[in-house]
Amino acid sequence: MELGPIWRALMRNKTSYVLIALQIAVTMAIMVNAIGIVQERSQQMARPSGVDEENIFYLSSVVFDPDVDREALISEDLDAIRNFPGVRNAILSNTVPLRGGGWSEGITLEPDPDLESTGVAIYFTDEHGIDTFGVDLIAGRNFEPTEVDWHDFDSDAWPPLAIVTRAMAEELFPDTPLNDVPGKTVYIHDTKPVTIIGITARMQAAWNSWSGVERSMLVPVKRATSGVRYVIRAEAGYRDEIMPQIEEMLASSSGDRIVRNMKTMEETRQRSYLEDSSMVKLLLFIVTVLTSITGLGIVGLASFSVARRTKQIGTRRALGATRPAILRYFMLENFVISTVGVIGGAIIAIGINMWMIEAFGLQRIAWYLIPAAMVTLWLVGQLAVYGPARRATMVSPALATRSV
Amino acid sequence: MVAAIAVGIGAYMTIINVDYVMSSNPIPHRSDVLFHVEVDSWQPNKAYYEPDHPPEQVTYMDGIALLEAGKARRQVLSYKTGRVLEPQGEGERPFELESRSTSADFFAMFDTPFVYGGGWDKSADDNEEYVVVISKEINERLFGGENSVGQTLVMNGDPYRVSGVMDTWQPMPKFYDVNNGPFEEVEEVFLPLSVAIANEFGSYGNTSCWKAPEGGWEGRLASECIWLQFWVELHSENERQEYLAFLEAYVETQKAVGRFPRPTNNRLNNVMEWMEYQEVVAEDVGVLKGLSLLFLVVCLLNTIGLLLAKVTRQVGDISLRRALGASRRDVFSQYIVEAGVIGLAGGLLGVAMTWLGLQGIKSLYGELEFISRLVAMDWPVIFAAIVLAIIAALAAALYPTWKASGVHPASQLKAL
Amino acid sequence: MLSMQNISKVYRTDTVETHALREFSLNVDEGEFVSVTGPSGSGKTTFLNTAGLLEEFSSGTYELDGRDVSGLNDTERSRLRNEKIGFIFQSFNLIPELDVFDNVDVPLRYRGFDAAERKKRIDHVLDIVGLGSRNKHLPSQLSGGQQQRVAIARALAGAPRFLLADEPTGNLDSHMADSVMDLLSEINREGTTIIMVTHEPSLASRAHRNILVLDGQVGTSEPELHLAAQTA
Repeated sequence: MELGPIWRALMRNKTSYVLIALQIAVTMAIMVNAIGIVQERSQQMARPSGVDEENIFYLSSVVFDPDVDREALISEDLDAIRNFPGVRNAILSNTVPLRGGGWSEGITLEPDPDLESTGVAIYFTDEHGIDTFGVDLIAGRNFEPTEVDWHDFDSDAWPPLAIVTRAMAEELFPDTPLNDVPGKTVYIHDTKPVTIIGITARMQAAWNSWSGVERSMLVPVKRATSGVRYVIRAEAGYRDEIMPQIEEMLASSSGDRIVRNMKTMEETRQRSYLEDSSMVKLLLFIVTVLTSITGLGIVGLASFSVARRTKQIGTRRALGATRPAILRYFMLENFVISTVGVIGGAIIAIGINMWMIEAFGLQRIAWYLIPAAMVTLWLVGQLAVYGPARRATMVSPALATRSV
Repeated sequence: MVAAIAVGIGAYMTIINVDYVMSSNPIPHRSDVLFHVEVDSWQPNKAYYEPDHPPEQVTYMDGIALLEAGKARRQVLSYKTGRVLEPQGEGERPFELESRSTSADFFAMFDTPFVYGGGWDKSADDNEEYVVVISKEINERLFGGENSVGQTLVMNGDPYRVSGVMDTWQPMPKFYDVNNGPFEEVEEVFLPLSVAIANEFGSYGNTSCWKAPEGGWEGRLASECIWLQFWVELHSENERQEYLAFLEAYVETQKAVGRFPRPTNNRLNNVMEWMEYQEVVAEDVGVLKGLSLLFLVVCLLNTIGLLLAKVTRQVGDISLRRALGASRRDVFSQYIVEAGVIGLAGGLLGVAMTWLGLQGIKSLYGELEFISRLVAMDWPVIFAAIVLAIIAALAAALYPTWKASGVHPASQLKAL
Repeated sequence: MLSMQNISKVYRTDTVETHALREFSLNVDEGEFVSVTGPSGSGKTTFLNTAGLLEEFSSGTYELDGRDVSGLNDTERSRLRNEKIGFIFQSFNLIPELDVFDNVDVPLRYRGFDAAERKKRIDHVLDIVGLGSRNKHLPSQLSGGQQQRVAIARALAGAPRFLLADEPTGNLDSHMADSVMDLLSEINREGTTIIMVTHEPSLASRAHRNILVLDGQVGTSEPELHLAAQTA
């Protein structure tokens, strides 16, 4: 091992080696932070919404005849849909998870308007809601059909019952075991009491970046608005087939209505996380291109460095260096440079991460990313230098005696 | 070398383009006379948005009061709604329209371009006239693109008279209603606020209430729910101060009747201030800006290395040239000029790379409707890319060129 | 100690066959100081490369220290060079980024000695060449003569069987050349075998005997030839 002389030689002729080390350092800084963001976003995107994403789709129906009996029409629609072959269940609701638009309210533990409230997403539904959304009821019970009311769109009445998610229950009653929460009463609109009768495992709100995304509440109300949304759960495998059929059926069922904005839950999830998934792809692309550029840069500089020292290589061979010894020399030299680079890179990476946390509210990167990046760049460096190093071994010892 | 610069410039300028469009001034000739008004009607124990931001929209009570007070040069109150257009032709199906109900000053204040006709006046507002301004596309669809001023169209069963056809207008971002999507398309139909209110057209935008409204439309109008946007036009610092004073007085009157429980917190933001405040430019863009700048740095380090290698390879050449009479400055300028040319070539190739990058962005984010506007490359961006490339190349060349000019004449001749 | 018998080296290209060495024979005993002279193009360099195991030869036998070196692979030849031969080059061939100590150290590292052993040897040889106080100097800080002395020290450090010198004073002025030749003579007197390749008759006279190379073949080996050249 010729560590000492290699180090001393590098120190004497710093410039081109500093360039490589700097490139490695900055590359590492970018790599670490980019992968950190990729990790963070991927974790976000992996969160389940709690509903049956494979089979749910929804559509809007707008009836603009002001004289139509909306309640009757909606009831007819729901019957027709529920009885349609291939449909498992359907409800009238205001929104679905991850849609980006929805309804939220504040809930308090006491009927005191000065108390700070806990935000919760509202899903209007009826007794078919749990089965249509495909959420798991883990405590308490579902609504009875008699407990579901019709409301006009501007009514300020509020039903006295609700089913909340586990996250909401834990937020409101952190010290109460889950099975004891059904039966407790909370307050909405400052003074209206609402008794929790059931708890679902999980049902996300419509806004994926909201801190309270896991807090939602099913409310037994059917709102007879002119524009309504039907949420439909198909039997497994039937979704794509029945979607256009249902659309057609509704559009032609009673005149003067527009059926539009039909979407699947899968599309909704995709759209909801579009920016995150695109960012992930973009960052992975950047990291790949960057690593290639740095790798190629090392190949270039190493080739040049070897070509510049052919006389020296020949001399070393003459003095007794074997071919493997020459290879080891250049691989080791590159390793030393890479080491300086990755140490610098670790420092810069942490610095940049701190700045990004400050400026963009990103998360701190997982600690193991740094050693992982170090190893990656060591490997890239060694791979890059291998070609030029092998060429170095082919330099003939007879070069030492050539007079030019 | 050219490739290294081109890739770095390409990556950086792609993001810069997106950032530039996202943060561009949507209405440069009027952006500092238009002001978004915010008053803090929010709940007593918690700000609308920490730490102390007032709500981004106004309640109907406040909006209509400020509108009717008329204390600014011009003012406009509006909100997003939806209508169903019923074409009168045979077999034509009705379709929904993104609509905006607004007071009359909208068109003058925001200087919207018209193909035919224009907006309506204050008397139309006062008389609740059923009048509309339609988009060019709707005009094409309903009237074959002809001058339809005075014609009638039916929305949700009511006939409206066309007072004007708006030309293509897509302020980027859609500053006048940032809450509901800063890059969304402009509405297709505009109708008077008074008509919408009288006929109870619900809001299609965001509505937030800290206090539950009483029932019915009346309850909504009298509630603390915020769902409208209010802008004023003020032409001087004087006018601005006067308006602020007026706002303060107004808030006092409201406090006197028990509203506005929070400390007075009136804001007047001009267009650019409002957008900055709204953080219209996505955070991801900022992150990408930082990372792509570092990417460019790596490409530049690469370039410096390549240039250094080139100079070292040519040491014999330089030495000979110096021996034959070239001065230090001759050598220096030769390499600097070379670097400039490389920069130019890199810049041109970099523009191509930027275009490629933007296409990539488009395919990634394609589902976002406004994306094609974000990826349109403008002349300033092209120009900036080339200039940046040349500057970068020159900067990268400084050290190697300095080394080159330091080569002693004939120092390498023995080795030749 | 060194015996080359009928060594031939042929360079073949597509069109041309060059016989750089033809049936070249040479025997060198321990402790001898032998010079190999000849005009340029005579094959001196090829002899040098062949004797120094820097190149393979086409035919003939070469025995070094009792061992037949034909058919050795590259690694074996490298080892042999490292252990048995001390090279001295015309342009010194010191590594510019390394100081004197590290330069002398190079062949010792390939030998595999430990740090203490290496230091002992390096200090010893630098002493012999009179540069013991210049450990940390870089080659660029030394005169030509001093650089060649460092190279000589490097060649001696591994206690080789013989020194192989290629125009050792070719790049030195006459004053330095003399002192380097004095050093070589001194080293030889102490017992080290030296084979020196040169084209200068005055240098060749310092050796015990001279081999003349002409067209790849051995000419006469009488010192009388030199005297003839001098008086002419």
